Amino acid sequence: MTQTTLGVDALLDRARTSIPAGRVPIRIFNDQEIFEREQRNVFGKAWCFLAHTSEIPKPGDYVVRSIANNSIIVARDEHGDVRANLNMCRHRGNQMCKSEMGNASHFRCSYHGWVYKNSGELVGVPYFQEGYETKLNRQEWSLINVRTDQYGGLIFGTLDPDAPSLEEYLGGFQFYLDMYLKQSPGGSEVFAPPEHWTAKVNWKICTENFTGDGYHTAVTHQFAVELGYFPSSGSTHYQGWAVNIPGKGHGIGLGHTPGLAPFAGFPDDLVTTIGRSLTPEQMEVFSKTRTAVGSVFPNLSFLIQPFSVKPGEAGVRFCTMRLWHPVGPDQIEMWSWCLVPVDATDEYKQAAYDAYTLAFGQAGTFEQDDFENWTNVTRQAGSSLARDADFPYLMGLDGKVLDDWPGPGEAVSPYVTDRNFRNQWATWLSYMLDEV
Amino acid sequence: MTATITRVPVRGEVRESLRDFLYLESLALDEHRFSDWLAMFADDAHYEIPVRVNREKLAEWELSPNGRIFSDTKETLDLRVRRLETDFAWAEQPPSRTRHYVTNVLAFETDLANEFLVRSNCLVYRSRGSDAEATWYSAQRRDRIRRDGDGWLFVHRWAALDQAMINARNMSIFV
Repeated sequence: MTQTTLGVDALLDRARTSIPAGRVPIRIFNDQEIFEREQRNVFGKAWCFLAHTSEIPKPGDYVVRSIANNSIIVARDEHGDVRANLNMCRHRGNQMCKSEMGNASHFRCSYHGWVYKNSGELVGVPYFQEGYETKLNRQEWSLINVRTDQYGGLIFGTLDPDAPSLEEYLGGFQFYLDMYLKQSPGGSEVFAPPEHWTAKVNWKICTENFTGDGYHTAVTHQFAVELGYFPSSGSTHYQGWAVNIPGKGHGIGLGHTPGLAPFAGFPDDLVTTIGRSLTPEQMEVFSKTRTAVGSVFPNLSFLIQPFSVKPGEAGVRFCTMRLWHPVGPDQIEMWSWCLVPVDATDEYKQAAYDAYTLAFGQAGTFEQDDFENWTNVTRQAGSSLARDADFPYLMGLDGKVLDDWPGPGEAVSPYVTDRNFRNQWATWLSYMLDEV
Repeated sequence: MTATITRVPVRGEVRESLRDFLYLESLALDEHRFSDWLAMFADDAHYEIPVRVNREKLAEWELSPNGRIFSDTKETLDLRVRRLETDFAWAEQPPSRTRHYVTNVLAFETDLANEFLVRSNCLVYRSRGSDAEATWYSAQRRDRIRRDGDGWLFVHRWAALDQAMINARNMSIFV
């Protein structure tokens, strides 16, 4: 067995200088110690995605989601407010909700029968007088609350009571998120419950790919280029922009196909009304974007792009939102949703969803190949011979930030660059070193 | 669904012929003869795998009314097959070794004289690369199958996987 020459602290310390210089340690993509520190320092501090408001539209609606190793009930209470609480009875720790979603005004524990309002407040204790006499103050034993905040229908939670506001955390990335979240003046909504599956994949490989890896498309998804299903070719695919929010880790790739109509794939009425909820600067950026693939640090990603089953036609524009939830150094639970424009017709929403399932989702023809590669990357990144080696992140190292870019963050062209990833891993490192 | 169970299943030659049709389908899939498999579908066929959600017993539904893992027409199945026939379908390169085990086949008459509802259980074993661990998919199938001359065609393949959290990196195979 090859001996590791660097401990995790030394590895991370070396990464302070190596990441900005375009070298990322291979080991961070499959290592137990790194994983454990991430659970504490990254997922214990960051704003993590929980749910979309359209998943819980009515009072009592709830879904069960996770941050790090915490199962969390995200519910709309009787006042219409979104509340997030640890899915654990305060009495002896039993799991409260055993289903993924539903509607309930109260949750009753199946062990000793403690009853909580969907807001998390303890209201019912069997033998309250006879057993506890006056020793139990119910107000003290509510479900453990998780701090939440929202942007554009996205509900985020953080385990850190001292974390900065979500607005500050997103740091201007909202400008780009609107491409997914404001697909129509009435916004966007989840079409169906998410698909979920497990994969032997490290979450960071997925997040990075969705932070604008335009480089992989024509090779990983070569079948689509080959059969004419991709609206750009190998020779034009590098075109577009990469934008990141320095120090925040968020980033987006904006692929551009010369000659493609603005918002190609959206129905005409949507193209004419979409500007109502967007700024002129957003319209300038979005209208020339074919593919927008972006991530909110640490593990929430989005993709919107046109797709047609008839090569050459505009088809429909589908949008996927996905959460790469880490459950081990080499394992994720994958959650994948399709977001559709609220104001579109039912026919269009269905068509967009069908395009999503054909391209992404567990059986998606694009997704399949990504997961095959990422599984193999994860396995190889655990190789003992690679433990002290780096991957090159040298693309666009001397790239010039555009000074006339209409949106927030640092934008560069072309779309094919490692710039977003260097920012992402530098941000990750600052969390890992407790320097955020 | 209850009505189907209390109905008397079709017996004899029709049942045997429908069962053989399912077995021939499995054989085509397991031998990676995807064009042969596609030819077993009618032009107006649908191929569906609903999203399963882990829910309480009294919940209105457990299989999402609109969420799908597959939601395919013959046209999109054709795309999937043509994809598998390129050299670049990395998810199936090298190809998975699959074995479809089809049991509990029950055929029922429908309101159309030339179409039958065929229910079956399907267990798919999938081995990839040199992984020692295989993937298993257990599914309940409810197919609509139409007479076509001396043979049969799928009009509707409906398969519901039993796992709500599917233990496989992808679904690059057919159930």
